[in-house]
Amino acid sequence: MAGLELKNIYKAYGNVEVIKGVDLSINHGEFVVFVGPSGCGKSTLLRMIAGLEEISAGELYIGDKLCNHVEPRDRSVARVFQSYALYPHMTVYDNVGFGLKLAKTPKDIRDQKIREAARILKMEHLLDRKPGQLSGGQRQRVAIGRAIVRQPEVFLFDEPLSNLDAALRVDTRMEIAKLHADLGATMIYVTHDQVEAMTLADKIVVLDAGVVQQVGAPIELYQRPANLFVAGFIGSPKMNFVQVTVEAVEHGAIVVNSKDVANLRIPARTEGVNVNDLLTLGVRPHDLSPSSSGAVVGRVGLVERLGNETIVNVELASGTPWLAVLDGDQALRVGESLALSADPAKAVLFDSDGISLLPPPIA
Amino acid sequence: MKPRHSLVGGLAAIAATFVVFVIPFIFIILMAFKDKQQSSLRDFSWPNGFHLWDNIVQVVQTRNWMLITAFINSSLITVASVTLLIVFAAMVGFVLARRKTRWNGLIEFLILAGLMIPPAVVPTIWLLQGLQLFGTLHGMILIEVAYNLPFSIILYRAFIATIPRELDEAAIIDGARPMDVFFRVILPMLWPVTVTNIVVQSVGIFNDFTNPLYYLPGNANATVQLTLFNFQSQFSTAYNLLFTNILLITIPPLIVFMFFNRQIVAGMTAGAVKG
Repeated sequence: MAGLELKNIYKAYGNVEVIKGVDLSINHGEFVVFVGPSGCGKSTLLRMIAGLEEISAGELYIGDKLCNHVEPRDRSVARVFQSYALYPHMTVYDNVGFGLKLAKTPKDIRDQKIREAARILKMEHLLDRKPGQLSGGQRQRVAIGRAIVRQPEVFLFDEPLSNLDAALRVDTRMEIAKLHADLGATMIYVTHDQVEAMTLADKIVVLDAGVVQQVGAPIELYQRPANLFVAGFIGSPKMNFVQVTVEAVEHGAIVVNSKDVANLRIPARTEGVNVNDLLTLGVRPHDLSPSSSGAVVGRVGLVERLGNETIVNVELASGTPWLAVLDGDQALRVGESLALSADPAKAVLFDSDGISLLPPPIA
Repeated sequence: MKPRHSLVGGLAAIAATFVVFVIPFIFIILMAFKDKQQSSLRDFSWPNGFHLWDNIVQVVQTRNWMLITAFINSSLITVASVTLLIVFAAMVGFVLARRKTRWNGLIEFLILAGLMIPPAVVPTIWLLQGLQLFGTLHGMILIEVAYNLPFSIILYRAFIATIPRELDEAAIIDGARPMDVFFRVILPMLWPVTVTNIVVQSVGIFNDFTNPLYYLPGNANATVQLTLFNFQSQFSTAYNLLFTNILLITIPPLIVFMFFNRQIVAGMTAGAVKG
């Protein structure tokens, strides 16, 4: 039905290339999240799908229709904005029904659809109010209602939770997830918050500087990042990195060491890797645990005791700062020496170009 | 307790305002109540009798009820000009604020030129004559629109720039064509500045003396301000009638200000605070 195909999409503003060759395939009913740092082009990509920006080169298919030059209203998309973009001079009822009114839908059908959308989002009591009389969360629900009522093939969410406070963000995030489950529609969601990405997505697309870094399920991106950028972006707190030297290359594994890390044998791809090569080792803070025989030794800097876990800032021998998240409450003193062991099965090696050397998954 | 010098300063300001604004108005009212003889003294004496009604009747009846015709003409010109001004200025302001083309610089230069360069009367008359619009009401309407457009455009452009572009985009995705976006979304949101514009332009056009003088000769075409001029030559010594006329033609703008005072202030301060 209505999946999306992006084929070799380019976007340039004059001489500045913003999107450089994006290929993407989205199935009907999938919840896809575009995630990346500010300026990576995710909003631009969304606007191109909506039809608000010209596509410089490449092809966009919505359903089976080539939509490069199709007007936004004919693309069967609906967009939920970060700032809600509600029409302030109209009531909630008119806001939600604006698109239908423009399409000259008969009044009774329009009324029925508006009330149905209001029922789904539990905002029947708000229909006579104006946006200025609503709270942020209520406004966001109206914005979503305006999108639902048009029954589009693709929903586009543009950082919809950024303007909400933390508690409301969690609630609305769950409402969006429930909405996706209820409607079964294709949803494209843009955010810079990787927690939203991990919790909502069927598929995450990580973008950096207009190039797709990796596409995959959330857990796949977490456990098997394709490159240094994805590894550092996904996962909170950020993955720890340190430069290491190849000590030995074995079958299906590489032994590395450095000033900070004693010999560590990590399963990896070995083609093109030679002894004495410089690689980057990545270990997630949650994969470090205190151990007297640990491979990583450093000096304790800052200790943050959260009750259920302890976040420790550790300064390695070379001065590189690492973060470790330890279970339970660990009473550590600033300045004391700490030995941590890293689980080699979860550690990732990256070559000099930043590409990960993860071994192929065990089928 | 307020410091003494601010009290003195406040009183001085009130006194100055009184002298500049209120005293002339009292003079007008006093003169309108007098008869012909007493008014020729042109002083602040209390009127000898209540002649206001007689003065009004005489003024209105002069020259075949010219004042009535003048009121109708003035109202027609004002309403038509202001309507066209609002619609055109808002449209231009919308395009200028939203679309960034290389013509924007030239257009803005033309608007500023329209604001700064005083109009040349004789060439304009020559142009109107060529277009067969000289001495007609619709020609006058076009003149008023042309002269007041730059100010209105600048006003609208500044306010439209405060409307976030996302509202336009939301409307476009909802299926609005450009005219729908303008008339259904943008223009309703500009209501405060539209009211301010209507009030300011209405008063300005209604009170306009020089433009009808140049471009609308003839008794049938007279506007209210011109009745003053015509009366003055006829009643060169009848100051009571002259001032009664002034009083009569001051009333409409006064009513507008009284009723729309709140909207004027609201329009001026709207957009000052992000809400």
